[in-house]
Amino acid sequence: MKIPIGIRDLCENPTEILNRYEDSGVKVIGFTCSYVPEELIISAGLQPYRITNIGANTSALTPSFVCPFASATLENIIKHEDFFSGFIVAHTCDPMWRLYDILKKKIGKPLFLLRVPHNTDNELSLDFFRMELMRFKKFLEKNFETRIDHSALFSSIELCNESRDLLKSIYVLNSGGEYKINAFDRFHLVLASMWMPKPEINTQIKALNFNNGETYGDVRLHLNGTAIYDLVLLKTIEESGGFAASDDLCTGSRYFWSNVEKSEDPISALSNRYLKRTPCPSHAPLEQRLEYINFMIEEFKVQGVLTFAEGFCDPILYDSVHIRNMLAKKGIPTMVIDYENPAQEIGRIKTRVEAFIESISG
Amino acid sequence: MSLQRKKSRVLQTTKKIGELIMAYFSQTSDAKAQGKPVAWVTVFTPVELLYAMDVYPIAPEHFGAMCSARGFILDYLQEAEREGYSQNLCSYSRCSLGYVLSGTSGLMPPPDILVTFRNSCDVYVKWWQSLHMHLGTPLFVGETPYVLTSEDLDNYVLDYVVKQLEQLVEMAEEKFGSRLDMEKLADIVRLSDKASELWLETLKLRRFRPCPLGGRDSASDIFPLVVMQGTTEAVEFYEELLEEVKQKVNMGEGVLENERFRLLFDGIWLWHAFDLIKYFEDRGAVFVYEPYSDAWAYRLDASKPLESIARKILAMGLNVDIDIRTERFSESIEEFQIDGAVLFSNRSCKTWSTPQLVTADILNKNFNVPYLLFEADMADPRQYAEAQIKNRIDAFLEVLGER
Repeated sequence: MKIPIGIRDLCENPTEILNRYEDSGVKVIGFTCSYVPEELIISAGLQPYRITNIGANTSALTPSFVCPFASATLENIIKHEDFFSGFIVAHTCDPMWRLYDILKKKIGKPLFLLRVPHNTDNELSLDFFRMELMRFKKFLEKNFETRIDHSALFSSIELCNESRDLLKSIYVLNSGGEYKINAFDRFHLVLASMWMPKPEINTQIKALNFNNGETYGDVRLHLNGTAIYDLVLLKTIEESGGFAASDDLCTGSRYFWSNVEKSEDPISALSNRYLKRTPCPSHAPLEQRLEYINFMIEEFKVQGVLTFAEGFCDPILYDSVHIRNMLAKKGIPTMVIDYENPAQEIGRIKTRVEAFIESISG
Repeated sequence: MSLQRKKSRVLQTTKKIGELIMAYFSQTSDAKAQGKPVAWVTVFTPVELLYAMDVYPIAPEHFGAMCSARGFILDYLQEAEREGYSQNLCSYSRCSLGYVLSGTSGLMPPPDILVTFRNSCDVYVKWWQSLHMHLGTPLFVGETPYVLTSEDLDNYVLDYVVKQLEQLVEMAEEKFGSRLDMEKLADIVRLSDKASELWLETLKLRRFRPCPLGGRDSASDIFPLVVMQGTTEAVEFYEELLEEVKQKVNMGEGVLENERFRLLFDGIWLWHAFDLIKYFEDRGAVFVYEPYSDAWAYRLDASKPLESIARKILAMGLNVDIDIRTERFSESIEEFQIDGAVLFSNRSCKTWSTPQLVTADILNKNFNVPYLLFEADMADPRQYAEAQIKNRIDAFLEVLGER
């Protein structure tokens, strides 16, 4: 499969598309996390855009021992504020939550904190999250002088469901031990879906041919972690003889694995989809996440699990102990690779990845 | 700079804290031996509710602070690190995980239930999940959403927390067969409220010059409000403390004879380097206000116990919007006549430290309060560069002296 050049360029420089939006008068809402329902933003006539850490150093506004991903995301928001009409931060982990505090004092654009309950398996949390989504809807309506009606919401849900269906259909090509699409290409499509208008990216994905995928290695791996935007990490795995068959990343399968169900009450349907999906490592219950990883390992015939841990990422650093303990019982090897700036540390990362893959392939 | 004459600057009541802590642990172990359930809780958890159901709360955070202060934390930290817990993780959590991994035998009796409400940090969720994974003990994870405006203390946010408290009661009733006695709860809430009232009144007396209660007192005396809210022992302790502080004010006595600088401390205390407070005092600087000390006290209404408790665990110091937090800062600067601020950038407490530079900027620009910001860890002594920090303190105090 050949990823269109426009998508390749976009993934190398994700902020470039902001110029296009600005030129065409599109109002863009930056969001930080896959707990934010893009459906609501789209139904308000706005363009959602996932903010990344790409192209930014860590911010001087945060201490050195805080997650470099969150810190660089903060830096990017401040640096590119003029391109955006507003920002949505989701309360997931401590640094992301506190980003809201800092941004409140540092930017002038409308800012919204979406409070995502950490006990996602509690029915009370579902009701609370529904109320939060109602508050989010009012925030959009008030700040952008629009009305979000049911019809617009139903349309945007359909559009986002189509996007998720397409991404999942590509992803499952690798199930059962197949080598159809490598992670490097796959992630291009997922990331582009977070930056481009959905109708445009959906059309491009439909036109792709997935039956001539170029793969590099054959040791099947599962990727554990939070979010990866720096695709050099995936290239490194593949160049080292690995095939990243599956993942539980926020920029991977967690973004699209489940759909919003049809309902007469679209806000409840959104609440249900976003809160009941596989939880972020920052959320509970852990057992649900472990189950998902187990499912992925079985479904995609995985031989080893690589955890990519942003330095100081508390949720991943706790979870990696339990993932290792669980998988050790199944005889599946694990390795944690921590880093602060992948581009600068790629040599060390590659050495570790190669050693891990060699230990599996014997 | 001339050093002040050495003498005991710590209150007589404060000296009784060690005994109270040991009695508390021993009482919990006795309760466990008698078959009563023990809950391991994070510190802003509704302990009043647990006491009312005859469930004994223990706070691993407090245990971590104590192990660090008494110099035996390293074995536990290293045990956790051997299991794979990174040194970048909260040292309180590594301490209790190490305690569990090394056999759960010591001052903290093994838990029958693990209870946390995510409020002061998100690490609580991961930490309690980890304890649950190692111990297999039933786990209750509650959510107290970030309080964005004071309206959240009366709207759907409050309802959500009240209903979760009811869930906790149901879970405890089911697991331990005990019933929640509402009259008993009201009595406990009255006691908890009284302890908060006394503590807040005591803290207010720090506005006097010389300040009658310093950092070493406030850091120690907070203990009964951490895990003993709702007990008569806590109320008696705070009554005695208030009486002593009032007497000191009446006699015009303070922590320091020659009080040169009145300081704000932002952060959790460095338990392994408690003498750092004395280092300031030796140089004429006294701590007169800490958001940490304020955070534990909350007035409760015994006629609405669940709502009151829900508001309390929602509105704890770090779980309220930055504008509300900085407003508290600004009030304290005037009330306690603060000359400078010491901000502890705590490697273990990312939720506190992350926005601290922004807070510092506000202090400096809006209130003209100079600040010192230094990095270390609250409980892990390996992450503390003593000489470097003391150098910076010296320089900071010199700057204050020149103003």
